[in-house]
Amino acid sequence: MIQFQYTRATQPKAAVDAVTKEKNSMFIAGGTNLVDLMKRGITVPQRLVDINRLPLKDIKKEGSSLRIGALALNSQVAENKMVLQSHPLLAQALNAGASAQIRNMATVGGNMLQRTRCPYFYDTTMPCNKRQPGTGCGALEGYNRMHAIFGFSDRCIAVHPSDMSVALMALDASVLVTGPSGDRRIPFADFHRLPGDRPDIDTTLRPGELITAVDVPDSPFTKNVHYLKVRDRASYAFALVSVAAALDIKKNRIEGARLAMGGVAHKPWRLAEAEKFLVGKPVSEATFTEAANIAMQGAKAFKHNAFKLRLAPNSIVQALKTAAKLV
Amino acid sequence: MSQKPSKGIPSPRDSRRDFLKQSAVLTGIALTPKAAITAAENQWDEKLADAIEKIPLNIEINGIQKSLSVEPRVTLLDLLREQLNLTGTKKGCDYGQCGACTVHVNGKRVLSCLTLAVMHDGEKVTTIEGLAKGDELHPMQEAFIKHDGFQCGYCTSGQIMSAVACIREGHAGSETEIREFMSGNLCRCGAYPNIVDAIVEVKKQGKNI
Amino acid sequence: MENFFDKVAGEPIDRVDGRMKVTGKAKYAAEYELPDMAYAVLVSSSIAKGTIRRVDAKAALRAPGVLAVISHENSIKVPAHADNEHPTEPPTGGQPFRAFYNNKVYFNGQPVAVVVADTYERARHAAMLVQVEYDKEKHTTSFEENIGSARIPSQVKKNPKSSLADYDRGEVDGYKKAPVVVEAEYLLPNEMHNPMELQAITAHWTADDKLTVYDKVQGTKPTQAAFAKEWKLPVQNVKVIAEFVGGAFGNGLHQWPHETAAIIAAKMVKRPVKLMLTREQMFYMVGYRPRTWQKVAIGANPDGKIVGIRHEAIGQTSSYEDFTESVLQQTRMMYTSPNVSTRYRLLPLDVSTPIWMRGPGEATGAFALESAMDELAFKLNIDPIQLRLINHTDVDPDNGLPWSTKYLKECIQLGAEKIGWSNRSMKPGGRRSGEWLVGYGMGVGCFGAHRGAAAVRARLMANGTLQFQSAVTDIGPGTGTAMVQIASGQIGISPDKITFQLGNSDFPQAPNQGGSATVATVGSAVVAACNVLKEKLLGMAASAEKRFTDVKMEDVLFSSGQISLKNSPSVGVAYTDILKKENLPEIDIIQDSKPGTEGSKYSKYSFSVHFAEVHVHALTGRVKVNKVVSCADAGTIVNKKTAGNQIIGGVAGGIGMALQEDAVMDHRFGRYITKDFAEYHIPVHADVPHVDVIFIDKPDYIIDPMGTKGLGEIAIIGVAPAIANAIFNASGKRIRELPITVDKLV
Repeated sequence: MIQFQYTRATQPKAAVDAVTKEKNSMFIAGGTNLVDLMKRGITVPQRLVDINRLPLKDIKKEGSSLRIGALALNSQVAENKMVLQSHPLLAQALNAGASAQIRNMATVGGNMLQRTRCPYFYDTTMPCNKRQPGTGCGALEGYNRMHAIFGFSDRCIAVHPSDMSVALMALDASVLVTGPSGDRRIPFADFHRLPGDRPDIDTTLRPGELITAVDVPDSPFTKNVHYLKVRDRASYAFALVSVAAALDIKKNRIEGARLAMGGVAHKPWRLAEAEKFLVGKPVSEATFTEAANIAMQGAKAFKHNAFKLRLAPNSIVQALKTAAKLV
Repeated sequence: MSQKPSKGIPSPRDSRRDFLKQSAVLTGIALTPKAAITAAENQWDEKLADAIEKIPLNIEINGIQKSLSVEPRVTLLDLLREQLNLTGTKKGCDYGQCGACTVHVNGKRVLSCLTLAVMHDGEKVTTIEGLAKGDELHPMQEAFIKHDGFQCGYCTSGQIMSAVACIREGHAGSETEIREFMSGNLCRCGAYPNIVDAIVEVKKQGKNI
Repeated sequence: MENFFDKVAGEPIDRVDGRMKVTGKAKYAAEYELPDMAYAVLVSSSIAKGTIRRVDAKAALRAPGVLAVISHENSIKVPAHADNEHPTEPPTGGQPFRAFYNNKVYFNGQPVAVVVADTYERARHAAMLVQVEYDKEKHTTSFEENIGSARIPSQVKKNPKSSLADYDRGEVDGYKKAPVVVEAEYLLPNEMHNPMELQAITAHWTADDKLTVYDKVQGTKPTQAAFAKEWKLPVQNVKVIAEFVGGAFGNGLHQWPHETAAIIAAKMVKRPVKLMLTREQMFYMVGYRPRTWQKVAIGANPDGKIVGIRHEAIGQTSSYEDFTESVLQQTRMMYTSPNVSTRYRLLPLDVSTPIWMRGPGEATGAFALESAMDELAFKLNIDPIQLRLINHTDVDPDNGLPWSTKYLKECIQLGAEKIGWSNRSMKPGGRRSGEWLVGYGMGVGCFGAHRGAAAVRARLMANGTLQFQSAVTDIGPGTGTAMVQIASGQIGISPDKITFQLGNSDFPQAPNQGGSATVATVGSAVVAACNVLKEKLLGMAASAEKRFTDVKMEDVLFSSGQISLKNSPSVGVAYTDILKKENLPEIDIIQDSKPGTEGSKYSKYSFSVHFAEVHVHALTGRVKVNKVVSCADAGTIVNKKTAGNQIIGGVAGGIGMALQEDAVMDHRFGRYITKDFAEYHIPVHADVPHVDVIFIDKPDYIIDPMGTKGLGEIAIIGVAPAIANAIFNASGKRIRELPITVDKLV
């Protein structure tokens, strides 16, 4: 880790200014991914602007949304009464991520910005277009068990590791940012990018922009929800496949549905077609199986992750069954 | 050192420009990350080392207020272990993947390896060394001994700090809940069931820990 | 024989070093504060094979605080490295890797330079600035692509009578004649020891020819001997301290390159140097359980009686050392088969050398053998327990010797009851619990019961306390605690008055802690020392109490700190009074102990049986180990609490083996892909259920005077097949390649 400058900001504007002023400056909040990346020499900021003292920690009702401050800790959000009441899916997803200690450090904003866990990204002697554009994708012809089955490009087949983001995707959240040219709101679906020919860029944030909050709109998805995370051990592991499932069920009929997957693409993967199919259908395993088949259209596997073509639809069915309390 | 500077021992007369002129002929990809080389080429290191090498840090550790001066790149874990000789907090991976470095910051359990010390100015840190009251062990320490919640002892500090927090957070309601909320603390000796027993017992005592 | 041990043996006393461990006061190798200490960080190769053309250290050398950048280009030469002999005492055949000896790269991640600086941060940063140029050669790291190059181990070439040599009992491939044959191939991946403590050493040259190291090793004396030989120093000039060892599981049984690197660095910068590996470096240079391919064929009669077994194994090793392990021994002695053939081969690759990992060899072999037994049971439609009992043997069929003790049948019976074996469906997939398929499986383990030679120093003090010293280490089982209990039982002093200092090469001789032999070896020395003390006490007792004049050893009791007469227990004299009367401040002895020849008339093994109840999710293939029962025939159990913990730990390790652990290499680069705890999974709390531990707890006095047989290895041997067999019973899926991850079941 190189020596770097360190400053603390107390107001968002000052933080944005500080990061904009000097090249190679970055915000640091929880640090749970950034410090890791800096130790490995993957991210080498010349200056860190500590934003932990910015007043962005509140979780509060804002019109017909719940506004979650970007610096709210993952554990605070997961245990927040309003979150548990109105967005239990989000709480479940948060608790499925990392460990209790990391959830006590990681912020909502930082969680969204965590980099992929692709091993080729982390090994600086191996090719990786995300880490070092132009060096190639190590995973494409390599060990790609953890990798994408949707939305990848020939430059990058990495997946996004966040659980929280999968729930936020399903819940139609939006991201509030402030930056050198003012404030803006980014729909969650537009926040993370697909790799395309620039896998080094994970999000649509512009230089110097700071996430200030996430808005999660009110929804009927307060009861029949489930976040299923399938991983290589019972806890504290990244998802092979995860499913955020939310159903609005009235008299055994699906009035509304939300479905998103993690561990399958460069961004949280919304299953819009399957959602559409589910609306108006009766609650049954057969319905869910068909929805899963629709969801999997266009999926393509690589040498080591073909199992995801079976695991993903089965997990969708399982998550929907659990959400619908069929199990 | 009295000996003549030899290859590998730094000489102040070496010119950085020598390095800049090198075009490394590497077979395969450079081990050194490009960004780090860029940093060296731009002489950030030297400039920064002179200008801002260390910054002040006021931090309370185990009830003792410390006024320190540290490099920003020093993690809380390395500060404890290498500068303050508080080696009870362990380094098991340094990447936030094992929990051995768990300490409490302002009462919350965190991983000291993934946080920079300077980020905790004005905060209170409790390590395993600060858990007992003098000779009187914390109930969790007692329970770990009684239930043999360790073997080699290396993950133990982190397990205990995490276990105390697990109860304080209200996540020790059942064995299943304990297992889930303790899963951030690896134990390669595999003493997990004994650790769970220790936590269950302390929880049952109902003491304010 | 009077069992002196009855009183204290088995008492679940708390660990004598427990307080040190729960307060953070226990000091591990990288935790000693020495004056003027410098920090070393290794630079590792990024190629798997070739030569180093140049090490460009300029940038690193100009980084602030850097004291040295050391590579083969400028390293001082380790005196014994140039010799045409092994510089260390290699536990493996071949030439151990010599750090910074020449420009050759033998494996990826090999240390090619070490950077020393005044702070850790500065050393870490400067290490990233070292540029290494290579001339790369084509490397060979893929096991599967090169399996045809497997060959006979060099140890066998040297000694055709080696236990690793081809073995045939009865007719070669006699299994083929049997009416029922199962034949299958099994694969075990590279598994990493991954103790929680990162491998670390603090090296300090206290004089030009005097070296002290605080090192994470499993033996202080063997390490002392190795470094003395390497640096051509008198043995007493090298001091090795390992008071606490944060787990090892075998990887502290060999000297590794980082140790030499730190010692060289300390010599060159003339300061104490601390070096701790990164977790990633732990995957590359401190050994591992080698990838092993196995093929097992068993032929049996329809009634279950085995006619013959063939078991072949090919294990991976490095290009420069032949690491071997006993994969096939269990097959030769576990079942009463008239025909047994075993074949063991090595496959050298451009990788680093493996080393023994908990249950070495046998854990690998048992996975194949016990899985194959389960396959045979299924094919014959015989209960797997019944199949074991049908083929049970009361003499070792390998050498015809009687067992010293063997309570395997009892283990099977007790364990089966406890797990609820009667709930097991003979038909796979026959039991469900909601969405989960429920299965039961079992696996048998065994490990040779060994006792070596050791000595202890014992000091009986005038205040009645008893102090021991031994060079032995404690990597976690609770050695000091067990020794205190053994001494307490032997000499009748309460455990709180006995201390046992260990982990220092200045103390009397003890071998490596390994092979489940520590209690038998060092405990025997403790017993011998206690016996000498008792003789001395009795010899002096008359001076304090006349009625002990001419009293013989068999007529007295040693208990509660005093000698008393058996036939009139009210007549007694305290040890403290004897020393007082004799005006002695202490009795100080060094006593050694080694096994006699009696043991050679027997075949000596510890046995274990593991039972697992496993749930497999019908839709997603997730696996939950719901319950484990482990029953051990390990002779006398000195401390049921610490011994139980060891079994539990072995089960946790077995769960990792069965379901999670897999060091995957990308052979295009010869580099590991899964090389930290986020990618190489070991079990977490949520993976490990309650484990019921049952001890037979019957002494085996053939092995040692305490009757112990060894525990650490059998705790893990047989766990992985028990789980794999339970998964088959639950799901009908027979997975022969570990680990059994979701992708293999969904």
